[in-house]
Amino acid sequence: MIRERLAALVAESSDGAISEHEALTATVPLTALGLTSIGQLRLVDAIETEFGVTVDLTGDGLDLLDDLDRLAGHLAGR
Amino acid sequence: MTIRFSAPDSGTAPLTWGQRAIWEAVERTAPDDHYFNFGRVLKVPGTRTVAEVTVALTALVERHGSLRTLLADPVGQRLEATGRMPVEVTTGDPDKVMAELAATRFDYHAEWPLRVALVLDGDTVTHVVLVFCHLATDGLGSDVALRDLRTLLLRGRVSGPPAPRPLDLAHWQAGPQGRQVADAAAAHWADEHARMPDTMFAGPSGDPADPPIRRALLRSPALQLATRAVALANRTSTSTVLLAATATLAGRFSGSGRCAMLPIVGNRFRRDTLGIVSTLSQEGLFTLDVDGDFPDVLRAAAPAAMRAYRSAYHDPADRARIVRDESDRRGTAVHPNCCFNDMRFADPGPAACTPADLDAALPATALEWQMSQDKLNCRFCVHVTTEGVSLTADTRHLSSDAIERYLHALEDLLVEAARR
Repeated sequence: MIRERLAALVAESSDGAISEHEALTATVPLTALGLTSIGQLRLVDAIETEFGVTVDLTGDGLDLLDDLDRLAGHLAGR
Repeated sequence: MTIRFSAPDSGTAPLTWGQRAIWEAVERTAPDDHYFNFGRVLKVPGTRTVAEVTVALTALVERHGSLRTLLADPVGQRLEATGRMPVEVTTGDPDKVMAELAATRFDYHAEWPLRVALVLDGDTVTHVVLVFCHLATDGLGSDVALRDLRTLLLRGRVSGPPAPRPLDLAHWQAGPQGRQVADAAAAHWADEHARMPDTMFAGPSGDPADPPIRRALLRSPALQLATRAVALANRTSTSTVLLAATATLAGRFSGSGRCAMLPIVGNRFRRDTLGIVSTLSQEGLFTLDVDGDFPDVLRAAAPAAMRAYRSAYHDPADRARIVRDESDRRGTAVHPNCCFNDMRFADPGPAACTPADLDAALPATALEWQMSQDKLNCRFCVHVTTEGVSLTADTRHLSSDAIERYLHALEDLLVEAARR
């Protein structure tokens, strides 16, 4: 469920440049699919608001944002 | 002629963070503050008369509070429900009309923050020229206004909820949630201030121009290709690649191993700020250690850029306090005097290119001197547009010759990185 919800947030944050389906089936990083830095920040804000977490804006934090599976795992395991 | 608007709402509020930031820049740049005016031209769809277009314009001004907001004394904002706004009717060239309307500063307390001209061909309005006071909106907000005006011309109304208002944003920012966001941003500003150099480009260039502020634009398809390729290889955005490259060379040209730079950030990351016609953009603070190979520098730059972008949504009062404290501690004024503004509405995104593509593109590179003026609130401003990359600099600190060398070095750095 978290994974699907995150995919919807990716679609919203990218203004549809990445569809929910594309986010769910991605085999490359989301940035390679066209998630811009603005899109990433929108995604960070949406995740923080919705999941009540603080996203760490470090290299590791950004790697996590680039990978829906790892991000979902991280949010599920918190 | 004039349009007469009548909306249901009025009121006063403090300035929003974004309004305060641009107001401070305007005050520092006056009397050359027309620098901040900017215009947009809307090609009118279909065949519309002056009367039809003025109906749509009236609805636009009634919908967006920011377009009927004046600067209040003491400094604050005053939203007016009713008023009359002048509209010029002309047969001139739209771009020239826009330049004329933008050429003089706004009377922030008494003049509506929007200047309008309708361009006629016979009885048909072909273009609407809008020139915005930067206190009313930034580029992304003007895009919202333009889209709404087009919708109003086509459909007579904009569906959905009422447009978000700067007045409400000002109240949110002053409330507990706004304070929480501001505190997190202030922590970043304080950390970066502790490690940044006092300033950039402090030394004299020895070769000032008259007037001292000059702008050169580099049109370079090769730079664009290279930027996209480097973004792809480094899993980051073209904007961050350009910020990192700009900062790296600013450090080198300024003789500083650590660069401090103020990226202008759109601040439209939250659902409540996405679609507002207002000035949300503010400076963030980005510091970067620029010694070493560019690929290594870029690796460190990406997360640093994200933190800078995020902390750009800040309360200028916090920033003023932090700058004052750090300046007092060091006994000298601490300020980067060095900024970066990616003004493109859309990031072209990462894309691969081959060395042959770069070779083929390089001969098309051209540099053009664009403007000069007396005053600017900065020493070094890089602007990225769809046309290219420009550098506006104070030639008392960076000579005209160095401005040219800088822009070519930027192209070299990115093309070289893309070839690896």
